Amino acid sequence: MSLLVEPFASPFMARALAVALLLGVVGGVVSVFVVLRRLAFVSDTLTHTVFPGVVVGFLVAGTNGIVWGALAFAVLSVVLLTVLSTHARITEDASLAILLTGFFSVGVILVSRRPSYTADLTAFLFGRILTVDMRQIVVTAILGAVALLTLAALRKELVFRAFDPAGAAARGYPVVALDLALNLVVALVVVAAVRAVGTVLVIALLVVPGAAARLLSDRLAAIVVLAAAIGALGGWLGLAASYQASIEHGLRLASGATVVLALVALYGVAAAVGTVRSSARRRGRVTP
Amino acid sequence: MDGSEPALRFDHASLAYGRVRVVEEVDGVVRPGESVALIGPNGAGKSTLLRAVLGLVAVVGGRIEVLGRTPARARRDVAYIPQADTLDAEFPVTAGQVVLMGRYREVGWLRRPGARDRGIAAEALDAVGLADRAGDRFGTLSGGQRQRVLLARAIAQRPRLLLLDEPFNGVDAVSQDALLAALAKLRADGAAVVVSTHDLALAHLACDEVCLLNRHQVAFGPTEDILTPELLRAAYGGQALITDGAVVAH
Repeated sequence: MSLLVEPFASPFMARALAVALLLGVVGGVVSVFVVLRRLAFVSDTLTHTVFPGVVVGFLVAGTNGIVWGALAFAVLSVVLLTVLSTHARITEDASLAILLTGFFSVGVILVSRRPSYTADLTAFLFGRILTVDMRQIVVTAILGAVALLTLAALRKELVFRAFDPAGAAARGYPVVALDLALNLVVALVVVAAVRAVGTVLVIALLVVPGAAARLLSDRLAAIVVLAAAIGALGGWLGLAASYQASIEHGLRLASGATVVLALVALYGVAAAVGTVRSSARRRGRVTP
Repeated sequence: MDGSEPALRFDHASLAYGRVRVVEEVDGVVRPGESVALIGPNGAGKSTLLRAVLGLVAVVGGRIEVLGRTPARARRDVAYIPQADTLDAEFPVTAGQVVLMGRYREVGWLRRPGARDRGIAAEALDAVGLADRAGDRFGTLSGGQRQRVLLARAIAQRPRLLLLDEPFNGVDAVSQDALLAALAKLRADGAAVVVSTHDLALAHLACDEVCLLNRHQVAFGPTEDILTPELLRAAYGGQALITDGAVVAH
Protein backbone atom coordinates (compact mmCIF):
# COMPACT_ATOMS: atom_id res chain seq x y z
CA MET A 1 0.00 0.00 0.00
CA SER A 2 2.87 2.35 0.81
CA LEU A 3 3.82 2.08 -2.87
CA LEU A 4 0.59 3.92 -3.64
CA VAL A 5 0.83 6.55 -0.89
CA GLU A 6 4.54 7.21 -0.40
CA PRO A 7 5.14 8.92 -3.77
CA PHE A 8 2.74 11.71 -2.87
CA ALA A 9 4.62 12.90 0.23
CA SER A 10 6.49 15.46 -1.82
CA PRO A 11 4.47 18.60 -2.63
CA PHE A 12 4.94 18.44 -6.41
CA MET A 13 3.61 14.87 -6.46
CA ALA A 14 0.72 15.81 -4.16
CA ARG A 15 -0.24 18.61 -6.56
CA ALA A 16 0.04 16.24 -9.51
CA LEU A 17 -2.21 13.77 -7.68
CA ALA A 18 -4.78 16.48 -6.93
CA VAL A 19 -5.00 17.39 -10.62
CA ALA A 20 -5.07 13.74 -11.71
CA LEU A 21 -7.93 12.95 -9.31
CA LEU A 22 -9.89 16.03 -10.38
CA LEU A 23 -9.44 15.28 -14.07
CA GLY A 24 -10.18 11.60 -13.48
CA VAL A 25 -13.51 12.30 -11.81
CA VAL A 26 -14.61 15.03 -14.23
CA GLY A 27 -13.32 13.21 -17.31
CA GLY A 28 -14.90 10.00 -16.04
CA VAL A 29 -18.37 11.52 -15.70
CA VAL A 30 -18.15 13.33 -19.04
CA SER A 31 -16.84 10.17 -20.75
CA VAL A 32 -20.13 8.41 -19.97
CA PHE A 33 -21.93 10.89 -22.21
CA VAL A 34 -19.15 10.71 -24.82
CA VAL A 35 -19.60 6.94 -25.00
CA LEU A 36 -23.43 7.08 -24.98
CA ARG A 37 -23.47 9.64 -27.78
CA ARG A 38 -20.60 7.93 -29.64
CA LEU A 39 -18.67 11.16 -29.61
CA ALA A 40 -15.18 9.66 -29.39
CA PHE A 41 -14.11 11.07 -32.74
CA VAL A 42 -15.80 14.41 -32.01
CA SER A 43 -13.88 14.55 -28.73
CA ASP A 44 -10.64 13.64 -30.47
CA THR A 45 -11.26 16.44 -32.93
CA LEU A 46 -11.79 18.89 -30.07
CA THR A 47 -8.51 17.85 -28.44
CA HIS A 48 -6.72 18.80 -31.67
CA THR A 49 -8.65 21.98 -32.45
CA VAL A 50 -7.85 23.32 -28.98
CA PHE A 51 -4.13 22.90 -29.69
CA PRO A 52 -3.60 26.16 -31.67
CA GLY A 53 -5.40 27.97 -28.84
CA VAL A 54 -2.84 26.58 -26.40
CA VAL A 55 -0.01 27.86 -28.59
CA VAL A 56 -1.57 31.29 -29.19
CA GLY A 57 -2.32 31.68 -25.47
CA PHE A 58 1.28 30.80 -24.63
CA LEU A 59 2.74 33.16 -27.24
CA VAL A 60 0.56 36.05 -26.07
CA ALA A 61 0.64 35.67 -22.29
CA GLY A 62 3.02 32.85 -21.33
CA THR A 63 1.93 29.76 -19.39
CA ASN A 64 -0.94 31.62 -17.70
CA GLY A 65 -2.39 32.42 -21.12
CA ILE A 66 -2.67 28.78 -22.14
CA VAL A 67 -6.07 28.16 -20.54
CA TRP A 68 -7.59 31.30 -22.05
CA GLY A 69 -6.25 30.58 -25.53
CA ALA A 70 -7.47 27.00 -25.25
CA LEU A 71 -10.88 28.16 -24.04
CA ALA A 72 -11.28 30.62 -26.93
CA PHE A 73 -10.40 27.98 -29.52
CA ALA A 74 -12.57 25.41 -27.75
CA VAL A 75 -15.66 27.62 -28.06
CA LEU A 76 -14.83 28.51 -31.68
CA SER A 77 -14.29 24.90 -32.71
CA VAL A 78 -17.36 23.60 -30.85
CA VAL A 79 -19.57 26.06 -32.71
CA LEU A 80 -17.97 25.17 -36.07
CA LEU A 81 -18.22 21.48 -35.33
CA THR A 82 -21.85 21.56 -34.23
CA VAL A 83 -22.84 23.62 -37.27
CA LEU A 84 -20.87 21.41 -39.69
CA SER A 85 -22.37 18.23 -38.28
CA THR A 86 -25.90 19.49 -38.95
CA HIS A 87 -25.11 19.86 -42.67
CA ALA A 88 -25.88 16.59 -44.34
CA ARG A 89 -24.02 17.17 -47.62
CA ILE A 90 -20.61 16.32 -46.20
CA THR A 91 -20.45 13.30 -43.90
CA GLU A 92 -19.74 14.15 -40.29
CA ASP A 93 -16.48 12.22 -40.09
CA ALA A 94 -15.12 14.02 -43.16
CA SER A 95 -15.94 17.46 -41.76
CA LEU A 96 -14.42 16.46 -38.41
CA ALA A 97 -11.22 15.33 -40.12
CA ILE A 98 -11.02 18.65 -41.98
CA LEU A 99 -11.41 20.61 -38.74
CA LEU A 100 -9.01 18.39 -36.82
CA THR A 101 -6.11 18.58 -39.27
CA GLY A 102 -6.73 22.22 -40.23
CA PHE A 103 -6.66 23.54 -36.68
CA PHE A 104 -3.85 21.23 -35.61
CA SER A 105 -1.65 22.39 -38.49
CA VAL A 106 -2.17 26.02 -37.51
CA GLY A 107 -0.90 25.10 -34.03
CA VAL A 108 2.13 23.27 -35.40
CA ILE A 109 3.06 26.14 -37.72
CA LEU A 110 2.81 28.65 -34.88
CA VAL A 111 4.86 26.58 -32.47
CA SER A 112 7.47 25.67 -35.11
CA ARG A 113 8.47 29.32 -35.36
CA ARG A 114 9.86 29.18 -31.84
CA PRO A 115 13.49 28.30 -31.19
CA SER A 116 12.50 25.80 -28.49
CA TYR A 117 10.18 24.08 -30.98
CA THR A 118 10.59 20.45 -29.88
CA ALA A 119 10.41 21.04 -26.14
CA ASP A 120 7.37 23.31 -26.49
CA LEU A 121 5.58 20.91 -28.80
CA THR A 122 6.15 18.02 -26.40
CA ALA A 123 4.81 20.02 -23.46
CA PHE A 124 1.68 21.12 -25.35
CA LEU A 125 0.94 17.70 -26.75
CA PHE A 126 1.72 15.55 -23.72
CA GLY A 127 1.43 17.96 -20.80
CA ARG A 128 3.57 18.37 -17.69
CA ILE A 129 1.60 17.03 -14.80
CA LEU A 130 4.59 17.11 -12.44
CA THR A 131 5.00 20.87 -12.74
CA VAL A 132 1.42 21.97 -12.04
CA ASP A 133 1.08 24.74 -9.46
CA MET A 134 -1.69 25.69 -7.05
CA ARG A 135 -3.18 28.14 -9.53
CA GLN A 136 -3.58 25.42 -12.14
CA ILE A 137 -5.27 23.17 -9.62
CA VAL A 138 -7.80 25.92 -8.92
CA VAL A 139 -8.39 26.55 -12.63
CA THR A 140 -8.84 22.82 -13.22
CA ALA A 141 -11.31 22.62 -10.34
CA ILE A 142 -13.34 25.58 -11.63
CA LEU A 143 -13.50 24.28 -15.21
CA GLY A 144 -14.37 20.81 -13.93
CA ALA A 145 -17.11 22.18 -11.70
CA VAL A 146 -18.66 24.10 -14.60
CA ALA A 147 -18.60 20.94 -16.73
CA LEU A 148 -20.19 18.79 -14.01
CA LEU A 149 -22.83 21.37 -13.08
CA THR A 150 -23.83 21.70 -16.74
CA LEU A 151 -24.21 17.93 -17.03
CA ALA A 152 -26.17 17.76 -13.78
CA ALA A 153 -28.52 20.52 -14.92
CA LEU A 154 -29.18 19.00 -18.36
CA ARG A 155 -28.83 15.32 -17.57
CA LYS A 156 -32.38 14.18 -18.27
CA GLU A 157 -32.55 16.11 -21.54
CA LEU A 158 -29.08 14.93 -22.63
CA VAL A 159 -29.95 11.31 -21.86
CA PHE A 160 -33.28 11.61 -23.71
CA ARG A 161 -31.53 13.13 -26.73
CA ALA A 162 -28.78 10.48 -26.66
CA PHE A 163 -31.32 7.65 -26.50
CA ASP A 164 -33.91 8.95 -28.97
CA PRO A 165 -32.95 12.03 -31.00
CA ALA A 166 -36.09 11.88 -33.16
CA GLY A 167 -38.30 11.56 -30.08
CA ALA A 168 -36.55 14.47 -28.37
CA ALA A 169 -36.96 16.67 -31.46
CA ALA A 170 -40.62 15.65 -31.68
CA ARG A 171 -41.13 16.87 -28.12
CA GLY A 172 -39.72 20.22 -29.09
CA TYR A 173 -36.32 19.90 -27.45
CA PRO A 174 -33.66 22.07 -29.11
CA VAL A 175 -31.46 19.17 -30.17
CA VAL A 176 -28.73 21.29 -31.78
CA ALA A 177 -28.47 23.44 -28.64
CA LEU A 178 -28.21 20.30 -26.48
CA ASP A 179 -25.45 18.98 -28.76
CA LEU A 180 -23.68 22.31 -28.50
CA ALA A 181 -23.89 22.18 -24.70
CA LEU A 182 -22.43 18.66 -24.52
CA ASN A 183 -19.66 19.52 -27.00
CA LEU A 184 -18.80 22.55 -24.87
CA VAL A 185 -18.62 20.35 -21.77
CA VAL A 186 -16.22 18.02 -23.59
CA ALA A 187 -14.17 21.04 -24.68
CA LEU A 188 -14.04 22.29 -21.07
CA VAL A 189 -12.47 19.00 -19.99
CA VAL A 190 -9.91 19.30 -22.79
CA VAL A 191 -9.04 22.83 -21.66
CA ALA A 192 -8.87 21.76 -18.01
CA ALA A 193 -6.54 18.90 -18.86
CA VAL A 194 -4.32 20.69 -21.34
CA ARG A 195 -1.50 21.72 -18.98
CA ALA A 196 -1.39 18.45 -17.11
CA VAL A 197 -1.84 15.73 -19.73
CA GLY A 198 -1.62 17.66 -23.01
CA THR A 199 -4.02 17.79 -25.91
CA VAL A 200 -3.29 14.33 -27.29
CA LEU A 201 -3.64 12.14 -24.22
CA VAL A 202 -6.80 13.80 -22.84
CA ILE A 203 -8.87 11.75 -25.27
CA ALA A 204 -8.15 8.74 -23.04
CA LEU A 205 -9.79 10.51 -20.08
CA LEU A 206 -12.79 11.33 -22.27
CA VAL A 207 -13.43 7.80 -23.51
CA VAL A 208 -11.79 5.04 -21.46
CA PRO A 209 -13.53 5.43 -18.04
CA GLY A 210 -17.00 5.57 -19.58
CA ALA A 211 -16.32 2.63 -21.87
CA ALA A 212 -14.92 0.57 -18.97
CA ALA A 213 -17.82 1.45 -16.64
CA ARG A 214 -20.34 0.52 -19.35
CA LEU A 215 -18.90 -3.01 -19.29
CA LEU A 216 -19.51 -3.26 -15.55
CA SER A 217 -23.12 -2.08 -15.29
CA ASP A 218 -26.36 -1.56 -17.21
CA ARG A 219 -27.55 1.20 -14.84
CA LEU A 220 -26.76 4.73 -15.89
CA ALA A 221 -26.38 6.06 -12.33
CA ALA A 222 -23.97 3.25 -11.46
CA ILE A 223 -22.05 3.76 -14.71
CA VAL A 224 -21.49 7.44 -13.88
CA VAL A 225 -20.15 6.63 -10.39
CA LEU A 226 -17.97 3.78 -11.70
CA ALA A 227 -16.57 5.94 -14.50
CA ALA A 228 -15.61 8.70 -12.04
CA ALA A 229 -13.95 6.10 -9.81
CA ILE A 230 -12.08 4.49 -12.72
CA GLY A 231 -10.90 7.89 -13.96
CA ALA A 232 -9.57 8.85 -10.53
CA LEU A 233 -8.03 5.42 -9.92
CA GLY A 234 -6.26 5.52 -13.29
CA GLY A 235 -4.75 8.91 -12.39
CA TRP A 236 -3.59 7.68 -9.00
CA LEU A 237 -2.14 4.35 -10.17
CA GLY A 238 -0.47 5.91 -13.20
CA LEU A 239 1.27 8.61 -11.20
CA ALA A 240 2.37 6.16 -8.50
CA ALA A 241 3.71 3.76 -11.13
CA SER A 242 5.67 6.39 -13.02
CA TYR A 243 7.15 7.71 -9.75
CA GLN A 244 8.17 4.27 -8.48
CA ALA A 245 9.66 3.35 -11.84
CA SER A 246 11.75 6.54 -11.97
CA ILE A 247 12.88 6.68 -8.35
CA GLU A 248 13.25 3.03 -7.43
CA HIS A 249 14.25 1.50 -10.74
CA GLY A 250 15.79 4.40 -12.64
CA LEU A 251 13.29 3.82 -15.43
CA ARG A 252 11.87 7.12 -16.69
CA LEU A 253 8.20 6.76 -17.57
CA ALA A 254 6.36 9.83 -18.93
CA SER A 255 3.73 10.42 -16.24
CA GLY A 256 0.86 11.54 -18.53
CA ALA A 257 1.29 8.51 -20.76
CA THR A 258 1.58 6.21 -17.73
CA VAL A 259 -1.75 7.54 -16.46
CA VAL A 260 -3.28 6.71 -19.86
CA LEU A 261 -1.81 3.20 -19.74
CA ALA A 262 -3.21 2.73 -16.22
CA LEU A 263 -6.65 3.70 -17.58
CA VAL A 264 -6.31 1.27 -20.45
CA ALA A 265 -5.24 -1.46 -18.00
CA LEU A 266 -8.36 -0.74 -15.90
CA TYR A 267 -10.41 -1.04 -19.09
CA GLY A 268 -8.85 -4.48 -19.58
CA VAL A 269 -9.83 -5.47 -16.04
CA ALA A 270 -13.38 -4.18 -16.62
CA ALA A 271 -13.60 -6.13 -19.88
CA ALA A 272 -12.54 -9.32 -18.09
CA VAL A 273 -14.98 -8.76 -15.20
CA GLY A 274 -17.76 -7.89 -17.66
CA THR A 275 -17.15 -11.07 -19.66
CA VAL A 276 -17.21 -13.23 -16.52
CA ARG A 277 -20.39 -11.54 -15.30
CA SER A 278 -22.32 -11.89 -18.54
CA SER A 279 -21.33 -15.54 -19.01
CA ALA A 280 -22.34 -16.23 -15.37
CA ARG A 281 -25.68 -14.56 -16.11
CA ARG A 282 -26.14 -16.67 -19.24
CA ARG A 283 -25.43 -19.85 -17.26
CA GLY A 284 -27.88 -18.66 -14.59
CA ARG A 285 -30.55 -18.28 -17.24
CA VAL A 286 -30.04 -21.75 -18.68
CA THR A 287 -30.28 -23.42 -15.26
CA PRO A 288 -32.59 -21.25 -13.17
CA MET B 1 -62.00 24.86 -27.88
CA ASP B 2 -64.95 22.56 -28.25
CA GLY B 3 -64.97 18.80 -28.65
CA SER B 4 -65.70 18.88 -32.37
CA GLU B 5 -62.54 20.78 -33.27
CA PRO B 6 -60.43 18.59 -35.59
CA ALA B 7 -57.34 17.02 -34.08
CA LEU B 8 -55.59 17.42 -37.39
CA ARG B 9 -56.48 19.35 -40.54
CA PHE B 10 -54.53 19.14 -43.79
CA ASP B 11 -55.48 21.95 -46.13
CA HIS B 12 -53.86 21.22 -49.52
CA ALA B 13 -50.57 20.88 -47.66
CA SER B 14 -47.28 20.51 -49.57
CA LEU B 15 -44.02 19.70 -47.81
CA ALA B 16 -40.40 20.26 -48.74
CA TYR B 17 -36.88 19.51 -47.59
CA GLY B 18 -34.98 22.60 -48.67
CA ARG B 19 -36.14 23.32 -52.21
CA VAL B 20 -37.23 19.78 -52.97
CA ARG B 21 -40.95 19.17 -52.66
CA VAL B 22 -41.44 15.69 -51.25
CA VAL B 23 -45.19 15.53 -50.57
CA GLU B 24 -47.91 17.48 -52.32
CA GLU B 25 -51.58 18.25 -51.92
CA VAL B 26 -52.55 16.43 -48.76
CA ASP B 27 -56.08 17.34 -47.86
CA GLY B 28 -58.23 15.89 -45.11
CA VAL B 29 -59.40 16.04 -41.51
CA VAL B 30 -58.85 13.76 -38.52
CA ARG B 31 -61.27 14.19 -35.62
CA PRO B 32 -60.73 13.34 -31.93
CA GLY B 33 -61.12 9.61 -31.37
CA GLU B 34 -60.50 8.76 -35.03
CA SER B 35 -57.60 6.82 -36.43
CA VAL B 36 -56.02 7.18 -39.85
CA ALA B 37 -53.58 4.87 -41.59
CA LEU B 38 -50.92 6.47 -43.79
CA ILE B 39 -50.29 3.97 -46.55
CA GLY B 40 -47.92 4.12 -49.48
CA PRO B 41 -44.74 2.58 -50.89
CA ASN B 42 -41.29 3.30 -49.44
CA GLY B 43 -40.31 6.86 -50.18
CA ALA B 44 -43.96 7.92 -50.55
CA GLY B 45 -43.51 10.59 -47.86
CA LYS B 46 -45.24 8.92 -44.89
CA SER B 47 -42.49 9.75 -42.39
CA THR B 48 -42.15 13.22 -43.87
CA LEU B 49 -45.85 13.84 -43.34
CA LEU B 50 -45.57 12.71 -39.69
CA ARG B 51 -42.56 15.00 -39.21
CA ALA B 52 -44.51 17.89 -40.72
CA VAL B 53 -47.31 17.33 -38.19
CA LEU B 54 -44.59 17.71 -35.53
CA GLY B 55 -43.42 20.95 -37.12
CA LEU B 56 -40.07 19.46 -38.12
CA VAL B 57 -40.59 19.72 -41.90
CA ALA B 58 -41.53 22.92 -43.71
CA VAL B 59 -45.06 23.29 -45.07
CA VAL B 60 -44.45 25.18 -48.34
CA GLY B 61 -47.97 25.20 -49.69
CA GLY B 62 -51.39 25.05 -48.05
CA ARG B 63 -51.60 24.49 -44.31
CA ILE B 64 -51.41 21.92 -41.52
CA GLU B 65 -53.35 22.68 -38.37
CA VAL B 66 -52.85 20.56 -35.25
CA LEU B 67 -55.51 20.94 -32.53
CA GLY B 68 -56.34 24.34 -33.99
CA ARG B 69 -52.72 25.49 -33.75
CA THR B 70 -49.60 25.51 -35.93
CA PRO B 71 -47.71 22.20 -35.67
CA ALA B 72 -44.82 23.65 -33.65
CA ARG B 73 -47.21 25.17 -31.11
CA ALA B 74 -49.14 21.95 -30.64
CA ARG B 75 -46.16 19.69 -29.79
CA ARG B 76 -47.01 19.55 -26.11
CA ASP B 77 -50.20 17.64 -26.95
CA VAL B 78 -48.75 15.45 -29.68
CA ALA B 79 -46.92 12.19 -29.05
CA TYR B 80 -44.58 10.69 -31.63
CA ILE B 81 -43.70 7.02 -31.43
CA PRO B 82 -40.60 6.06 -33.42
CA GLN B 83 -39.87 2.57 -34.71
CA ALA B 84 -38.40 0.69 -31.77
CA ASP B 85 -35.64 -0.87 -33.86
CA THR B 86 -34.21 2.54 -34.74
CA LEU B 87 -33.14 2.97 -31.09
CA ASP B 88 -29.83 1.77 -29.60
CA ALA B 89 -30.50 -1.61 -27.96
CA GLU B 90 -27.31 -1.33 -25.88
CA PHE B 91 -28.33 1.98 -24.28
CA PRO B 92 -28.24 1.66 -20.46
CA VAL B 93 -31.81 2.67 -19.73
CA THR B 94 -34.66 0.67 -18.18
CA ALA B 95 -38.16 0.34 -19.60
CA GLY B 96 -39.45 2.41 -16.67
CA GLN B 97 -36.95 5.19 -17.38
CA VAL B 98 -37.97 5.27 -21.06
CA VAL B 99 -41.63 5.71 -20.09
CA LEU B 100 -40.69 8.45 -17.63
CA MET B 101 -39.15 10.38 -20.57
CA GLY B 102 -42.75 10.99 -21.66
CA ARG B 103 -43.10 13.22 -18.59
CA TYR B 104 -39.89 15.26 -19.09
CA ARG B 105 -41.55 18.10 -20.99
CA GLU B 106 -44.17 18.48 -18.27
CA VAL B 107 -41.51 18.23 -15.53
CA GLY B 108 -39.59 21.04 -17.22
CA TRP B 109 -35.91 22.03 -17.38
CA LEU B 110 -33.70 21.65 -14.29
CA ARG B 111 -36.31 19.66 -12.35
CA ARG B 112 -36.45 15.97 -11.50
CA PRO B 113 -39.58 13.90 -12.12
CA GLY B 114 -41.63 13.66 -8.91
CA ALA B 115 -43.82 10.98 -7.36
CA ARG B 116 -46.79 12.05 -9.49
CA ASP B 117 -44.80 11.68 -12.72
CA ARG B 118 -43.55 8.26 -11.60
CA GLY B 119 -47.12 7.24 -10.84
CA ILE B 120 -48.32 8.32 -14.30
CA ALA B 121 -45.39 6.47 -15.93
CA ALA B 122 -46.15 3.30 -13.93
CA GLU B 123 -49.82 3.45 -14.98
CA ALA B 124 -48.82 3.91 -18.61
CA LEU B 125 -46.54 0.88 -18.51
CA ASP B 126 -49.39 -1.07 -16.95
CA ALA B 127 -51.71 0.05 -19.78
CA VAL B 128 -49.51 -1.75 -22.32
CA GLY B 129 -49.25 -4.83 -20.10
CA LEU B 130 -45.59 -4.44 -19.10
CA ALA B 131 -45.85 -3.27 -15.47
CA ASP B 132 -43.63 -6.16 -14.35
CA ARG B 133 -40.82 -5.21 -16.77
CA ALA B 134 -40.21 -1.66 -15.51
CA GLY B 135 -36.75 -2.53 -14.15
CA ASP B 136 -35.59 -4.44 -17.23
CA ARG B 137 -33.14 -2.80 -19.59
CA PHE B 138 -34.98 -1.55 -22.69
CA GLY B 139 -32.66 -3.43 -25.06
CA THR B 140 -33.31 -6.79 -23.39
CA LEU B 141 -37.01 -6.68 -24.31
CA SER B 142 -38.39 -8.17 -27.53
CA GLY B 143 -39.10 -5.88 -30.49
CA GLY B 144 -42.82 -5.90 -29.76
CA GLN B 145 -42.29 -5.17 -26.07
CA ARG B 146 -39.98 -2.25 -26.93
CA GLN B 147 -42.69 -0.86 -29.19
CA ARG B 148 -45.16 -1.18 -26.29
CA VAL B 149 -42.75 0.66 -23.97
CA LEU B 150 -42.56 3.50 -26.51
CA LEU B 151 -46.37 3.57 -26.68
CA ALA B 152 -46.43 3.72 -22.86
CA ARG B 153 -44.04 6.69 -23.04
CA ALA B 154 -46.53 8.39 -25.36
CA ILE B 155 -49.45 7.55 -23.04
CA ALA B 156 -47.54 9.05 -20.09
CA GLN B 157 -47.41 12.27 -22.07
CA ARG B 158 -51.26 12.34 -22.09
CA PRO B 159 -51.46 13.35 -25.75
CA ARG B 160 -54.48 14.39 -27.79
CA LEU B 161 -52.85 13.22 -31.02
CA LEU B 162 -50.58 10.18 -31.48
CA LEU B 163 -48.30 9.65 -34.44
CA LEU B 164 -46.92 6.15 -34.91
CA ASP B 165 -44.19 5.31 -37.44
CA GLU B 166 -44.50 1.68 -38.62
CA PRO B 167 -45.43 0.41 -35.13
CA PHE B 168 -46.26 -3.14 -36.20
CA ASN B 169 -43.03 -3.99 -38.03
CA GLY B 170 -41.62 -7.22 -36.67
CA VAL B 171 -44.06 -7.27 -33.75
CA ASP B 172 -45.28 -10.61 -32.37
CA ALA B 173 -48.99 -11.41 -32.00
CA VAL B 174 -49.13 -10.82 -28.22
CA SER B 175 -47.54 -7.39 -28.52
CA GLN B 176 -49.69 -6.54 -31.52
CA ASP B 177 -52.83 -7.27 -29.51
CA ALA B 178 -51.54 -5.24 -26.57
CA LEU B 179 -50.69 -2.32 -28.88
CA LEU B 180 -54.12 -2.42 -30.53
CA ALA B 181 -55.91 -2.59 -27.17
CA ALA B 182 -53.94 0.37 -25.79
CA LEU B 183 -54.61 2.39 -28.94
CA ALA B 184 -58.33 1.60 -28.74
CA LYS B 185 -58.37 2.81 -25.13
CA LEU B 186 -56.62 6.05 -26.08
CA ARG B 187 -59.13 6.64 -28.87
CA ALA B 188 -62.02 5.95 -26.52
CA ASP B 189 -60.59 8.67 -24.30
CA GLY B 190 -60.69 11.08 -27.23
CA ALA B 191 -57.18 10.97 -28.68
CA ALA B 192 -56.73 10.90 -32.45
CA VAL B 193 -54.25 8.44 -33.95
CA VAL B 194 -52.21 8.53 -37.16
CA VAL B 195 -50.35 5.35 -38.06
CA SER B 196 -47.89 5.01 -40.92
CA THR B 197 -47.88 1.37 -42.00
CA HIS B 198 -47.27 -1.13 -44.77
CA ASP B 199 -49.69 -3.56 -43.23
CA LEU B 200 -53.02 -3.22 -45.03
CA ALA B 201 -54.69 -5.90 -42.92
CA LEU B 202 -53.88 -3.94 -39.79
CA ALA B 203 -55.11 -0.74 -41.39
CA HIS B 204 -58.42 -2.54 -41.88
CA LEU B 205 -58.38 -3.70 -38.28
CA ALA B 206 -57.25 -0.55 -36.50
CA CYS B 207 -58.15 2.46 -38.61
CA ASP B 208 -61.41 4.12 -39.68
CA GLU B 209 -59.75 6.12 -42.41
CA VAL B 210 -56.86 5.78 -44.81
CA CYS B 211 -54.66 8.38 -46.44
CA LEU B 212 -53.12 6.78 -49.52
CA LEU B 213 -49.88 8.49 -50.38
CA ASN B 214 -47.24 8.42 -53.08
CA ARG B 215 -45.47 11.79 -53.12
CA HIS B 216 -48.94 13.27 -53.42
CA GLN B 217 -52.25 12.26 -51.90
CA VAL B 218 -53.87 9.53 -53.99
CA ALA B 219 -56.97 9.27 -51.82
CA PHE B 220 -58.21 10.05 -48.29
CA GLY B 221 -61.38 8.58 -46.85
CA PRO B 222 -63.05 5.68 -45.01
CA THR B 223 -60.89 2.53 -44.98
CA GLU B 224 -63.40 0.43 -46.93
CA ASP B 225 -63.66 2.97 -49.73
CA ILE B 226 -59.94 3.56 -50.05
CA LEU B 227 -58.34 0.14 -49.79
CA THR B 228 -59.60 -0.99 -53.16
CA PRO B 229 -57.45 -2.70 -55.79
CA GLU B 230 -57.84 0.26 -58.17
CA LEU B 231 -56.69 2.91 -55.69
CA LEU B 232 -53.90 0.72 -54.33
CA ARG B 233 -52.61 0.22 -57.86
CA ALA B 234 -52.78 3.96 -58.37
CA ALA B 235 -50.65 4.48 -55.25
CA TYR B 236 -48.19 1.64 -55.69
CA GLY B 237 -48.00 1.65 -59.49
CA GLY B 238 -47.35 -1.77 -60.99
CA GLN B 239 -45.92 -3.02 -57.68
CA ALA B 240 -49.27 -3.68 -56.04
CA LEU B 241 -49.89 -7.31 -55.31
CA ILE B 242 -53.41 -7.98 -54.22
CA THR B 243 -54.50 -11.36 -52.96
CA ASP B 244 -57.93 -12.48 -51.75
CA GLY B 245 -59.10 -9.72 -49.39
CA ALA B 246 -55.82 -9.40 -47.53
CA VAL B 247 -53.91 -6.99 -49.69
CA VAL B 248 -50.17 -7.36 -49.86
CA ALA B 249 -48.30 -4.55 -51.47
CA HIS B 250 -44.63 -4.10 -52.24
